[in-house]
Amino acid sequence: MLTKSSFLYFLTLLLFKQRDKHIGTISISIVIIFLLSSILFISSSIQGSIKIALESQPDFSLSRVEAGRVVDTPVEWIDKISDIDGIVDISPRVYGRYFYRPKEESFLVVGVDFFDEQNQKELKNLIDGIDLKDFFSRDSMLVGEGVKEFLAEHFYSGDFSFKTPTGKFKKVRIYDTIPHQSNLISNDMVVMPIDLAREIFGMSEDLSTDITFNVPNDSEWDTILTKLHLLFYDLRVVEKREIAKAYSSLYNYKGGLFLILYLITIVTFMLILYQRYSMVYSSEKREIGILRATGWSIGEIVKLKFYETLIVVVVSFVLGTVLAYIYVFVWGAPLLKEIFLGGANLKNQVEFAPTINMGLLSSIFLFYAVPLFGSILIPVWRIAITSPKEAML
Amino acid sequence: MIKQFYILIVILSILIISVVWDYMRYDRAYSSRVVSSIGYITGLSSPSLSVSYYEPRVLMLDSSINTTYPQMMTIDRMDFIYAN
Repeated sequence: MLTKSSFLYFLTLLLFKQRDKHIGTISISIVIIFLLSSILFISSSIQGSIKIALESQPDFSLSRVEAGRVVDTPVEWIDKISDIDGIVDISPRVYGRYFYRPKEESFLVVGVDFFDEQNQKELKNLIDGIDLKDFFSRDSMLVGEGVKEFLAEHFYSGDFSFKTPTGKFKKVRIYDTIPHQSNLISNDMVVMPIDLAREIFGMSEDLSTDITFNVPNDSEWDTILTKLHLLFYDLRVVEKREIAKAYSSLYNYKGGLFLILYLITIVTFMLILYQRYSMVYSSEKREIGILRATGWSIGEIVKLKFYETLIVVVVSFVLGTVLAYIYVFVWGAPLLKEIFLGGANLKNQVEFAPTINMGLLSSIFLFYAVPLFGSILIPVWRIAITSPKEAML
Repeated sequence: MIKQFYILIVILSILIISVVWDYMRYDRAYSSRVVSSIGYITGLSSPSLSVSYYEPRVLMLDSSINTTYPQMMTIDRMDFIYAN
């Protein structure tokens, strides 16, 4: 019977003596854990940031539908909607894509009613030290980091000239850049006063892209929807809760897809390991036979292999998740982020807010550790229970 | 335990501590404030999808221009203006 310290000495000595054997297992495990953790980190970070943005979004957005297509909504609808009890904060919203034909790229132009006091307050929250007087003194806009970089590359450093549907150019000053922390939402955004946005889109003053409003009492939501459908027959209402559900199912689906791929990979890897340990002439078999012949009990051999595997599991898991953390939250997940955000338009320079879900990490650990232990300890035990002479043959 | 194993433990510990330190020092309050403000001002929470012009950019609110043949863009008034 070995003492505790001599057992540990023998275990660590064996690990480093047979490092070539373990390096292979650890390397493959690191790659698998890294890929899965990266995908799940990106997915949970996006969902976390969207949840924050969604909380400040209006409860409902309403738009006009014509022949199944969403068209501009008349601003006069606001008066009719305001007659319904329980509805507050009704405001028109103007947004749309501006296509920059020379490079075939587009920006999302959003018109905001900056005369609203709450919007002004949020604007000050967004841009530290913004001088509203100066901002309104001439046609100005705030641009996302992606837009800023794109315009700078095309020599628009201070102003940009939008081509309106009338064929005229509208020169707008680039006032400031929206902080990069919100790039996930605002990378391709151009925020400007609502009237300026209407001018750029060639939209008349009595039209808006849609109308937004809040209903503070959640239990009234369904009644309000019914009232709206009785008031207008050509409308589409999108609820905030529907959007929240759509986002979570979309990103869970993308993360889940990778989880399935992970399971397939891990099962294949475990089968290879199982095969390696149970091979008739494997070095493992000979090693276990020698230990049995020198007086080791079956329990001690299984214990030795258990701790050996535990070290391999912990090292692989720590290295895999740490590398995934650095890749996603420090380097911004180049390449993999395109699975979630695309890469056909402006370059997305997203900064993912570090989000570590301990439940998720423990699940990854369990999904990895349990099959690995199984695929190593079962053949080890089967060899250990045979006679040493037979095992060494 | 042998010396190399101690070194391995130290390296892994340093890695874990660095990650925890980076995680703790991230300014979540400012980041949340900025995301919340842009969400409030624009009323949009859709992630900034880097998609082609004919694909939906604002999830749930936008629809693609031509879903059957997404690679074909429909001719609109703007095309004639740009042609001039």
